Amino acid sequence: MTFPTAPLAILALGLAALSAAILVSFLALRPPLVRLTKIWLLLGFGVFPIAAAFAGNVQGFEATKERQFCGSCHVMSLHRDDSDNPASNSLAARHARNPMFGSENCYVCHADYGMFGTVVTKAGGLRHVWLYLTEYRSVPVEAAKATIHLREPEKMNDNCMQCHSTKDSLWLAVPDHRAPLEAERAGRLSCASEGCHGFAHPFFRAPPTDARPL
Amino acid sequence: MNRRRVLDAACLVALAALALMTWQLFDPRVWPVIIAMSVGQLLGTASLVAYVSVVIADYRAGLRPR
Repeated sequence: MTFPTAPLAILALGLAALSAAILVSFLALRPPLVRLTKIWLLLGFGVFPIAAAFAGNVQGFEATKERQFCGSCHVMSLHRDDSDNPASNSLAARHARNPMFGSENCYVCHADYGMFGTVVTKAGGLRHVWLYLTEYRSVPVEAAKATIHLREPEKMNDNCMQCHSTKDSLWLAVPDHRAPLEAERAGRLSCASEGCHGFAHPFFRAPPTDARPL
Repeated sequence: MNRRRVLDAACLVALAALALMTWQLFDPRVWPVIIAMSVGQLLGTASLVAYVSVVIADYRAGLRPR
């Protein structure tokens, strides 16, 4: 647990503190319920808490992009630890060391892009929460890593291509890039597959046939 | 129910809501964030509704002929 330093978080805390001060004062001082008291209470019950909730929600949504957040479910701890490891050479860890990805590398690589990408990604996150509560809560990490796999692996190349456009001349000069170009762009051949750039997470292999999509 | 008691209860509920909503800022992991955005805001809304109902009841009582 750390003290928040983000401006929005501090704003949310300040607004919540103002609201709490009004409410505690009302409980302690017990002023008569006249118009002025009601106006103060409107600030304490409505204006400040709504503003605090709004700022807190925005900050909360930002927090959901952080690796610390993704790794707070134990079944994702291996992924988090690998990305945290400065000695790891996995695709995930190397991207985590790139400032463009940094502490948000899980989100940047796994988010849906496009017009409704953020909403779709958050909805997918709620499915993760549901699956965790109903199936994975008590599953050991070693067992979980054998069954968890991507729900739509064919879409992963789209995310790689957010940065690696597949149109750059230097990229196209690599024969292994050029030959299966259409398959790469269509997602039929994963960039992060054995023989290409390897699995993004070092302990992951091709999913078993009975694997559960997450 | 006595309006003062309703407001007292609403204050306590609102304080609990504020605590839940700010918890996520100190501990931005899955459960604090989800609880802040669901239970925290539900409690906050409930306390606001209680406050508004007291104000409306007070206003209507003031309109009644004495």
